[in-house]
Amino acid sequence: MYMLEAKGIKKSFGKLEILKGIDFSIARGESIAIIGPSGSGKSTFLRSLINLEKIDGGDLVIDGQTVVENGVYQKADEAKAAFNKLGMVFQNFNLFPHKSVLENIILAPVTTKKMTREEAVPLARELLSQIGLSDKENAYPYQLSGGQQQRVAIARALALKPDILLFDEPTSALDPELTGEVLAVIRRLSEEHMTLVIVTHEMGFAKEVANRVIFMDEGVVMESGTPEEVFEQTKNERTKAFLSKVL
Amino acid sequence: MTFQTVTNELLEGFSQNCQLFFMTLLFAIPLGLIITLGSMSKWAPLSFLRRFLPVGEAGSSVGRFFRKTAVCIVNFKPIRCVTRIFVWVIRGTPLLLQLLVVFYVPGLVFNYPMTQRMPAALVAFAINYAAYFSEIYRGGIESIPKGQYEAGQVLGLSKVQIFFKVVLMQVIKRIVPAMGNEIITLVKDTSLARIIAVAEILKAAERFSARGVIWPLFYTGAFFLLFCGVLTILFGYIEKKLDYYKG
Ligand SMILES: Nc1ncnc2c1ncn2[C@@H]1O[C@H](COP(=O)(O)OP(=O)(O)OP(=O)(O)O)[C@@H](O)[C@H]1O
Ligand SMILES: [Mg+2]
Repeated sequence: MYMLEAKGIKKSFGKLEILKGIDFSIARGESIAIIGPSGSGKSTFLRSLINLEKIDGGDLVIDGQTVVENGVYQKADEAKAAFNKLGMVFQNFNLFPHKSVLENIILAPVTTKKMTREEAVPLARELLSQIGLSDKENAYPYQLSGGQQQRVAIARALALKPDILLFDEPTSALDPELTGEVLAVIRRLSEEHMTLVIVTHEMGFAKEVANRVIFMDEGVVMESGTPEEVFEQTKNERTKAFLSKVL
Repeated sequence: MTFQTVTNELLEGFSQNCQLFFMTLLFAIPLGLIITLGSMSKWAPLSFLRRFLPVGEAGSSVGRFFRKTAVCIVNFKPIRCVTRIFVWVIRGTPLLLQLLVVFYVPGLVFNYPMTQRMPAALVAFAINYAAYFSEIYRGGIESIPKGQYEAGQVLGLSKVQIFFKVVLMQVIKRIVPAMGNEIITLVKDTSLARIIAVAEILKAAERFSARGVIWPLFYTGAFFLLFCGVLTILFGYIEKKLDYYKG
């Protein structure tokens, strides 16, 4: 059974149709990379999966629960429980600037009563040691480098123990020398069989980490396959043209 | 006429200014928040008519005009509209005039004369300052990046939790300088209440000048200066307290 399944997802902004019927599914433990030119709707699609955008048409099934059917959303609290199984990491981190690193991580688990503070703090420390930032638990986001901030943002998402973690260009806002440390953390999650959907412009990383690569263009899935199939054996002209530009 | 007796009489007057000052803050700070909620209201009762809007571009200019009008009607937000007109009227007319209106209009129009001067002054001040505060609050709330709300949402926080745990402290930090400015203006504005014969400090000083003793009038400045000095120090302290993070 799929962890998440999307069928015929449609989304327009005003008169402009951005997603023109996207089919997508991911099994537990899979890592999927989504690539494609700027403006092709990758972010919009990812945001639709986690309810940051409302879709106009199509079905969305999360962990066996139908959340959207034919563009109609399920009742709010039931849908919310399903969407809460997803976590998301943003391009520009979106850490809470007024909270220390530790507080950033425990805020949501404690506020939503998923854990007590006594449970959340050791978990947060454990996550911080995994991303190599144990000595930064009392620092504020402005005191960290971009790479460190993004690693904290990943830890913050992981503290809620999501079933799927979505990444929207997690390294695009970073200086080149800082992307490595963030990619290393994501790579490890993938090795631990965390279910991941990663929108990225890092083709080398997509090739290495993803089980499956999806090429999106102008609001449709142009091609989907193993990294070899998409990067090396593609017959699709659009894919070829895109890859020749970015590789 | 000794310095001591003048000081005592002026102090008596100034206690009226202080009373008006603190009572105005007490009412205007929460009232401003309610006005902010109104001026940011998204309630559009006619939005259900959206599906009757004709799709596609209208060809003629008359058609375009009607389409634009229809869109305006469908998007009409009555609470926002009424609140913003209210704020415009309050900020667009002199406080002095508002004092006169509150004091005289009930008697002239409703045959219900105001007998108490201080409560009348308080009503005018609270409404006037609430309108200014509401715009400061709104500016603060709107300056918080969308990403903060989105991060809260994908972490499973409710709208109320996002407001109190994520946004509020950041808003407070951003509005402290503007609020400090406004509150210092309020100290001096309290002397306007003499237009409806509240026995505030300038009124007290005028009793001396009527008898040919001018200097107490200038002496009143010292009281305002001292009070504003204390407030300046207080706001400096608060700003420093909130300076533990940047952004
Ligand atoms: N809130 C919005 N309102 C209107 N148009 C939007 C909105 N969000 C996105 N769009 C438009 O939707 C299209 C797809 O945007 P999207 O951000 O999904 O692309 P993307 O594939 O993520 O691009 P990039 O690689 O640059 O991040 C763009 O043309 C964009 O201008
Ligand atoms: Mg994007």
